[in-house]
Amino acid sequence: MATCTYTVPDKDASGDNFYGAVICEQAFVDYFWNTYGFSGNKTYWDDGWGWDDCCNTSKPLARAFNGCYALTYSAQDYLNDSYSSAILNWGRRYVRENIDDLRCFCGDGTAIARSKGSGLVEVYLGFFYKKDVPGRAETLIHESRHQGGKPHDANFPSGSTFGGGKSGADSSWDYEGAWMYGALYLWWYYAEGARTTSALRERARQRGNVVIDNAFATHPGFSI
Amino acid sequence: MRGKSPDTPFLGRPDTIETRAVEHPFSFRGSKDAELNALIVEAVNRMGGVGEQAEDHYRSALDELGKRADDALEVIVAEYEALPEESYLDRWSLVQLLSELRLPAAAPALNRIITSRIPAEKARGSHDASTVTEEVIIRTTAVEGVVRLSEEGVEEARKILLRHARNRTFSIRRASVQGLLETGEDADRRELRALLKERGEERLLRIKRIDVRGVPQATGGRFVVPPDVKREPPRPERGREHG
Repeated sequence: MATCTYTVPDKDASGDNFYGAVICEQAFVDYFWNTYGFSGNKTYWDDGWGWDDCCNTSKPLARAFNGCYALTYSAQDYLNDSYSSAILNWGRRYVRENIDDLRCFCGDGTAIARSKGSGLVEVYLGFFYKKDVPGRAETLIHESRHQGGKPHDANFPSGSTFGGGKSGADSSWDYEGAWMYGALYLWWYYAEGARTTSALRERARQRGNVVIDNAFATHPGFSI
Repeated sequence: MRGKSPDTPFLGRPDTIETRAVEHPFSFRGSKDAELNALIVEAVNRMGGVGEQAEDHYRSALDELGKRADDALEVIVAEYEALPEESYLDRWSLVQLLSELRLPAAAPALNRIITSRIPAEKARGSHDASTVTEEVIIRTTAVEGVVRLSEEGVEEARKILLRHARNRTFSIRRASVQGLLETGEDADRRELRALLKERGEERLLRIKRIDVRGVPQATGGRFVVPPDVKREPPRPERGREHG
């Protein structure tokens, strides 16, 4: 067992204080808890993580719910989650169908999240406090892609911000790996994200571009 | 969906966490102008809005701050420099604010941010957490701020973009090249092409900004776990709208 501490600004650009007021409805809490892998994992989300205080956006559970709200409602026509539509629409479905258990840990600061197989995804402090709200949705999609059967298959290119030569990259855009899913989600969020601001959409663009530039062994040849 | 256990209490102990809330991430040590400070906090806060009115509220906050943009510039830059290195999101939000204000006088500050040394990676063992990546996102956002100034005819901005077409970080080079190609004058574009040819970096000219509809899309149905029960989510406006 580890114990961690974190100081959280109430008013910052992450979006949490606004999303927090929205998700504090029992209908959302029930839907997110039962849909995105929280159910069955109460013990993990207790003891300061927010199970008994799920509207408090200083705490991890509400911040995870905020990511779930962005994942669920950022497409204008959010009820359409057909795989023939954009990933902005079906990203929530893909997460729903691939993450059975979502568990929280302090972590050691070296990862945002990890896919452990058999539908289990672990999220660490950085997921709640370093990522903005849409960034958490991106992380859930990235890890879901690993659950969906796509490990990383290449080393990062020379000069990559993620560490040139290290494993953990995808070979190409066409490999359709976790980096492609995450970048494509951010791209659609930038282009058509609903119920958000141009600032968070611009942040999605900047992060998506850096992923495109640095997380593929072969650069896709385009940018956002 | 596979069978799920109920929320069975643990025999062991999971991790625990303690959180402490503060009002906002800034210190404003160098600014005693409470009204201006509040406008900056509000604009940053509104960046993260949600709901149908989120963008309107963000724009209103920017408009209010814009009325004192000249005073705000110095305070924003001072706050950026005062923030701890690891406050990546907060540092980014101030750079985004500089970009939004479109102040020609902000060009030197944006250039300093782009030029500043990127600290060594602090998450060496990770493939998804990267402090260098966070630093680069801050700098490419500063490049976007310079591009916006170039778009409005600020000559210094075009010079900055040309300078960073030779930046050591690929994403900064790529963003600067694209920005100058899109907003520069013919002479700038000629100079840029000559520079890239000289450096053997003409591949940067081939990386195009395109619409998301024009790229290969993900085939989400592949490798998925067959859906069992699909529940529709509640309507998004059930919660109060904020933005």
